[in-house]
Amino acid sequence: MFKKIVLQEGVTLYIRKTEQFKTVNFSVKWKTALDETKAAHRAVLANVLQDSNGRYRTQTALRNTLDEMYGTVLYTDASKRGETHLVSLYAECVNDEYLSEGGVLDDVLGLIQTTIFEPNLVDGQFDETIVNREKRSVIERLRSLYDDKTRYAQKRMLELLRPDSAASASSYGTEKVVNAMTTGDLLKAYESMLHEDEIAIYVVGDVDEQEMTEKIRTHFTFQSRPAMERKPLQQAEARQTEDIRRVREKQEMKQGKLHLGFSTPVSFRHPDYPKMQITNGVFGGFAHSKLFMNVREKESMAYYASSSYASHYGLLYVMAGIDAELEEKAVDLIKEQLQAMQQGDITDLEMEQTKALLGNGIKSAFDSARGQIEVFDQFKELDEQFTAEKMIAVWESVTKEDVQKMATEISLEIVYLLSGKEAV
Amino acid sequence: MEKIQFDHLQETLYKATLANGLNVYILPKRGYSKTFVTFTTNYGSIDRTFIPRGSEEEMTVPDGIAHFLEHKLFEKEDGDVFQKFSVHGASANAFTSFTRTAYLFSATDKLYENTEILLDFVQEPYFTEKTVDKEKGIIAQEITMYDDQPDWRLYFGTIENLYHEHPVKIDIAGTVESIQDITAEHLYECYETFYHPSNMALFVVGAVDPDEMMNFVKKNQDAKKFKEPAEIVRKFPDEKDTVAIAERTLAMDVSKPKLNIGMKCTKTDIEGEEMLIQELSSGLVLDILFGRSSDFYTKTYNEGLIDESFSYDFTMEKGFGFAMIGSDTEQPEALEAEIRKTIRGAVENWSITDVELDRMRKKKIGQFMRSLNSPEFIANQFTRYAFNKMNLFDVVPTLEKLTVQNLQDAFATFADESGYTVYSIVPAEPAQ
Repeated sequence: MFKKIVLQEGVTLYIRKTEQFKTVNFSVKWKTALDETKAAHRAVLANVLQDSNGRYRTQTALRNTLDEMYGTVLYTDASKRGETHLVSLYAECVNDEYLSEGGVLDDVLGLIQTTIFEPNLVDGQFDETIVNREKRSVIERLRSLYDDKTRYAQKRMLELLRPDSAASASSYGTEKVVNAMTTGDLLKAYESMLHEDEIAIYVVGDVDEQEMTEKIRTHFTFQSRPAMERKPLQQAEARQTEDIRRVREKQEMKQGKLHLGFSTPVSFRHPDYPKMQITNGVFGGFAHSKLFMNVREKESMAYYASSSYASHYGLLYVMAGIDAELEEKAVDLIKEQLQAMQQGDITDLEMEQTKALLGNGIKSAFDSARGQIEVFDQFKELDEQFTAEKMIAVWESVTKEDVQKMATEISLEIVYLLSGKEAV
Repeated sequence: MEKIQFDHLQETLYKATLANGLNVYILPKRGYSKTFVTFTTNYGSIDRTFIPRGSEEEMTVPDGIAHFLEHKLFEKEDGDVFQKFSVHGASANAFTSFTRTAYLFSATDKLYENTEILLDFVQEPYFTEKTVDKEKGIIAQEITMYDDQPDWRLYFGTIENLYHEHPVKIDIAGTVESIQDITAEHLYECYETFYHPSNMALFVVGAVDPDEMMNFVKKNQDAKKFKEPAEIVRKFPDEKDTVAIAERTLAMDVSKPKLNIGMKCTKTDIEGEEMLIQELSSGLVLDILFGRSSDFYTKTYNEGLIDESFSYDFTMEKGFGFAMIGSDTEQPEALEAEIRKTIRGAVENWSITDVELDRMRKKKIGQFMRSLNSPEFIANQFTRYAFNKMNLFDVVPTLEKLTVQNLQDAFATFADESGYTVYSIVPAEPAQ
C-alpha cells in the first residue's frame, strides 16, 4: 500500500499517493530501544522541538506562522511499542488544490526540515528557560494520570504485574529522571536521536510521488545508520508463580475499578498471534463478546466490561467499572467466561461476529491518513507487503478449536481493585 | 432527490424529504471503504417538559429519560441489537446530548443490511417494565463512572453554576435516584412525541451510491405506517442573563487543582445564518484572545499558570450558550485573575484588528478542510447544523465574509461579568 524508498541505511521513506483526503499528512518516526532515561529525555525533547526552532524562536512566532499556513498542524509525541520507544513528528496541511490563494505544501516541508535540523539553540545549547518549562509540562502530564481513575488503575495493575519492564514503563519516563535532566542531556538526546535512531518517514496525500521523494531527499539530509536490532521471535515473559495475586487499593471515589491481568505466551511475533486476536474478540473485545453479554447485559453489573490484548507484551487485560461490593461476583463471572471458552463453549455466531468486526476495524482504520500510517508502521514488521485483505484472510481461517486452544494459553495472574474508601 | 454541489470543497450532497417527513442526506466520499450512517432525532436531555402527542396537558418527565430511552431502544424481544450489527460487521453506537439523540453505525461491508437494522431498531420500540428495570443497574454504573471523572464534574459543575432554571443544567444521564422513577410508559410517551420521522434526520456518508441508497431508504420507510406529523410543543422556563451561582468548589481525589470559568451567552434565541455567525465569531474571538499564539497563552504558560490541559470552547444551541476557559493549575486565583484581565481588556479596549482576524480565519478554514476527512464529523455536525437551520457547508463562505465588527458583537453577548462563574476542583484532604 505504501511505496518504499530507502533513503539511507536505516532511513526509509514510505509514500502513498491518494486522492482520498483533502490534506497531506507527514510523519517522521524515530525508533530506539526503550529505557526509562531515554524515554524521559525524549519526551522533553519532543516538547521542546514543537515549541520553537531556529527560524521561529518563540512559540508565538511559530504558532502564528502555522495559523497563516491555513492552520497547518505540527506536533510531536512520544510513545512506545513493545520494547521500542518512538518519537513521532506529525504535520498535516490542506492540499493546495483546495486553497483559493497560494499553496502551503513547500512551506510545510521547509518547516518540518527546520523543526528537525535547526532546533532553537543559543551558543550550541538549548534554552534553559524553555527546557525547564517543558520539563514541568512532562512532569505534570505524568502526574495527571492520577486524576483519571481508569487509567490510573490500569497503570497500577501493570506496575504490580510487570514491575521494571517495558509493559509497565511510561513512554514519558519518570518524574525523577525528567527532574534531573540538564540542557546538556537534552542536546545529547537530540543528537543521538538525529544520528543513531532508525527513521521512518511517511507521506500520505495527493502528491506526485517522484517529486515528493526528491524534495524529501534534498530537505531531509539524514546520514546512514544501522537499522534497529529487532529481537528474534521471542517468548513473552513467563509468569513467576501459579498464585493469583489479589490487590485492593483505596482512593476517594465512588466506582470500583476492577482490572484483571492475564498472561499468554502468544505475543505479536508469535505465529498464533491472529488466533489470539480472535480469542480476545470472543472473550471481551466487542459488544457481542462474552464479557459484555454476561457482565453487562445479563447481570446489569457494569456499564463497561471489556478485554484488550496487549500483544507486544503477551498480556490480556479485563476492565470493568462495578460496585466494589460485587467484586467477588464480578471476578467469578469473568473467570467463568474464560473457562467456558477453554471448554469449547464458543458458537459459530461468536466466531462470525468477531471476524466481521475485526475486518471492519482494520478496513476502517485505513480511512484516515493517520490510521494508514500507524497500522502499516506496526504491521510492516511482520510483513512488508501487509494489507488489510491479507490479515482478514488469515482471520477467516481461524477455527473454534483454535480459539479454544488459545483460551487455554491465557492465565490469570492478578486481580486489582481500586475503590472508594467507604467500600469493603 | 436534490443534488447540491460545493465546488470549492469538491463535495456533492444529495438530499430528499420523504413522504413521512424524514430528511435524508447522502454524501459519497471517494476512496473510502467505510460508510458511516447516523439516524438522529431532534430530542435531547433538555426536552423534559412538553405536551405528549395526543394529550392536552404539559408534563415533566424524570431526569435522564432521553438517555435512558437511547439505551433501551437497543433491546428487543429477540435480544440485543448489537448482536445483529456484529453479524454484519458493523460497529454500532449511540449518544445523547442536550438537544439530540443519535444512533449510528460504521461498516465496510453489507451497507444495506446494516442500514435496515438501524432504521428498524430505532422505529420499532420495545419497552417492558422488566427490561426497563434491568437497565437501571447499567446506567447507575455509567453515572457513577462519570461521577469519578474530575473533568466531567468540572464541566457540569460550571453549567450548573451558570443556569438558574434552564434544563441544560441537569446532567444528561440524570442521577442514580432520578432514573429509578422511569417507567416503560414514560419511554413510550417520549418516543411517540419525539421519534416521528418528521423530527428526525438520516445521514449517510462514505462509500455509498446515492441513488441506490435513497431508493432503499424510501422503500423501507414507505413500507411502514406512521401517524401524521404533529407539532411538538416543548416548554422552557425563562432564564435570567446573570449566573445562578458565581463560585463553587468541589473536593476530589485529584493531583492538582482544576479551574474553569464559564461565561453565559445572552443571545441564544437565534437560528440559521444568525446563529452560524454568532458561533463562528465567538470561536474566533476565543482563538485570538486565548489560543496558542495569544499573549495570554504565552504569559500564563511561561509562568506555569496553565499546563497542557488548558482548553477553551464555545457551545451554543437554541436557548442556551456559553464560553468556557479552564486548566489544571497550582494557582487558581492567579489564573482566574489573568483570564478576567484578558476579557476585561478586550471589553474596555477592543484591539482585535483585520490582521488577527485574517490569520485566524485562515486557520479555521484549514481546520474545517481537515475535518472534512472525517465521515463522523460530517454526519454529526451536519445534523446538528440542520436541526438549528444552518448548513455545515456554509462554514467556509461565512468565515470568508466575517468582519471585526461581527467578532465584537458576538463577544459582547458573553463578556458581561454578571454572566461569569468560576468552578474549581481542589485535591481532597488526604485520609487519616
